[in-house]
Amino acid sequence: MRRAIASLLLVGLAGALLAACGSTSDHAERLTLAALGTKLPSTSPAPPPSPEAPCGDVTASLRPDAVMPAPGAMPAGSFMARIERRGYLVAGVDQNTLLFAYLNPQNGQLEGFEIDILRDLANAIFGNKPGDIRFKAITTAERIPAVQNGTVDVVADAVTITCDRRKQVDFSTVYYDAGQKLLVPANSPIRSYRDLSGKRVCATIGSTSIKTLTEKAPRSIPYPVQQRTDCLVALQQGLVDAVTSDDSILLGFKAQDPYTKIVGTSFAAEPYGMAISKAHPDFVRFVNGVLAAMRADGTWRAIYSRWLGKVSPAIPAPPTAHYLG
Amino acid sequence: MESVQPVARLRTRSTRARANSVLGWVRERAATTPGRLTLISVLVLVGALCFGVFATTAERSRAAAAEAARGSTEPLLVQAVTLYTSLSDANATATTTFLKGGLEPPARRLRYVQDLRLASDSLARLTREAGSSSAAGTAVRTITEQLPVYSGLVESARADNRQLLPVGAAYLRQASALLTGTILPEADHLYAIEAQRLSGDYGTGTAAAPLVVIALVACLAVGLLVVTLRYVARISRRILNVPILLATVLLAALSIWVIVAMLGEQNSLASARRASDSAEVLSATQVLLSRAQSDQSLTLVNRGSDETDPPDFRRVMGVLAAPGGLIGEAASLANQDGLGASASHLESYFAAYRAEAAQVSSFEGAGQIGSAINLASSPSSTAISDRLSGTLAGQTGTAQRRFNHAAADATSSISGLSIAIPVLTIVAAGLALLGLRQRLQEYR
Repeated sequence: MRRAIASLLLVGLAGALLAACGSTSDHAERLTLAALGTKLPSTSPAPPPSPEAPCGDVTASLRPDAVMPAPGAMPAGSFMARIERRGYLVAGVDQNTLLFAYLNPQNGQLEGFEIDILRDLANAIFGNKPGDIRFKAITTAERIPAVQNGTVDVVADAVTITCDRRKQVDFSTVYYDAGQKLLVPANSPIRSYRDLSGKRVCATIGSTSIKTLTEKAPRSIPYPVQQRTDCLVALQQGLVDAVTSDDSILLGFKAQDPYTKIVGTSFAAEPYGMAISKAHPDFVRFVNGVLAAMRADGTWRAIYSRWLGKVSPAIPAPPTAHYLG
Repeated sequence: MESVQPVARLRTRSTRARANSVLGWVRERAATTPGRLTLISVLVLVGALCFGVFATTAERSRAAAAEAARGSTEPLLVQAVTLYTSLSDANATATTTFLKGGLEPPARRLRYVQDLRLASDSLARLTREAGSSSAAGTAVRTITEQLPVYSGLVESARADNRQLLPVGAAYLRQASALLTGTILPEADHLYAIEAQRLSGDYGTGTAAAPLVVIALVACLAVGLLVVTLRYVARISRRILNVPILLATVLLAALSIWVIVAMLGEQNSLASARRASDSAEVLSATQVLLSRAQSDQSLTLVNRGSDETDPPDFRRVMGVLAAPGGLIGEAASLANQDGLGASASHLESYFAAYRAEAAQVSSFEGAGQIGSAINLASSPSSTAISDRLSGTLAGQTGTAQRRFNHAAADATSSISGLSIAIPVLTIVAAGLALLGLRQRLQEYR
């Protein structure tokens, strides 16, 4: 009898063991949830520009040689000769600034004021040789490092000449005198930065514009965004009352939205220069020579009128060149 | 305090007295054969009752879990997954199509629209059926509110893009940020809620403990009947008492049925889980592939001024391609399911996709955005990603069908038990008592 009960119990235990075998694990669920939960990378805003020590005439650059070398005959041993041997100039540019440097999606070509200036520079080295320039799209943060580490020969990407930046790279003479202005809806009562008290104003995170805004209009409410064009979206969506940025960028915005206007005298000068490595002063002199010729022979005006004439009909005089010594 | 103590003592005394009286009743009965038969009758009744209650409880909870998994939690999980995958695919389609400018191929537009329709259908079902849980309700509400905003931003981006206005890129960026930053996290939340509920159902439906208890209680009950049978045979000097024998056989048979049926249910549910796990891994793979596509397209749309999408692209590709990553896991699942061809397709298509993505990235890194955009939006590139998502969708469908079969097996394998357990237990108890009564009457 006991044996019978014991065997019955054994059968029961065997059943229990079998039951335990069929149990499941949640490996797949954990794997799936972990994979789906892959975090978006967090974006750390760029540190605000720190105050800088004055450095005399910030836009003064190296004087060009009295006689410029002819296209296709760069002096031996110069940086231009190295570029010539390579077969093309490498230029760091933006692709997002309509009218200045913009990739036209229709034909896949970069176009704009800065692009034409750079093409003219390449022509001065090579003479009208096809494929003599390669554009490299760079981010705002990459502009100075790309020059320093030699990824590009030159950067023309709305780089404002500042004393701090001059410690890192050399600059050409000014090729565009930008200034910080305001873009507002066409019916806005805002006339200048003095009217910004209590108004929401859009600017790019980490830009000099946002710093100037807080200095000049301390009672405005800054609306920081990651990328420039986000400001135009914010204005169109009524999230902000004004956008502040360099007029070069605001001109591109106005070209996209006829229901806006640019107001105010520039409340901070933003002289744009081409950034070139400190290792190549000969190239800086050469670029300045090319720019001087463009100012003198009307090329600068022609390029300005081609790109900016529609939104800014009054064609200004080319920015004056300042030379060291 | 002093007045309380005597009361307490009195109470103890009365409890003890009652216990003594019960014990006395049992002792009195145990002294005579008819008394012993009465005692045995009571024990048999209690044993049958225990077995019936345990077996029914276990059967009910398992049947409920298997039925819930088949009929409500898994379908809801499928809706949550569909919402997630279709929204991700919509964004991938919108961003890659944006690269085409105004010349968007009608098939891509159709795909975007269908994705949104699928997402809306899933959302409607989730709204109806997930309303009970407040966390799910909040997630559903947020998605319902934000989805029209998302599609509005996408349409603004398209309209601007058709007019060559660069601000279109900013609208697309905002749309994508809304989707990945606000809508998809809620979809993820919904998914986690539904996955957890299904996991809970699987846990209940395959829990080993109730089966062990049933097995032990059944052994004791059948053992009790065997002992009774032998005792009755001895006192009556007859070899067999037919009703008690029948009761023993009946209860033993019922016990075996219960255990076998529950083991069957458990195995079916375990394979249902394997199938739905496969579907989940495959869907997650689809979601991440869509995210990689969106990341790369946005990188190109943003043209070098993008600091968030390229690192996200690398991270997502890492999760997909790493050893033990989702592609490897999905391929090994396909192999386990006997879909070897599908597994090798998956790996070769992914390799092709990866090679092409690397080519696009290298163009982009070299500043040749035009070439990068041409390659990324070329028909061959679209074909690769379509084949990849098609293979994944096909595998997901297979897994889903396997789930349906296995889950139906799980519910049908225990379907007769809900009636059989109470009826047969009562019949067995009745037969046993009948047999005992026959003997008892011989003493009157």
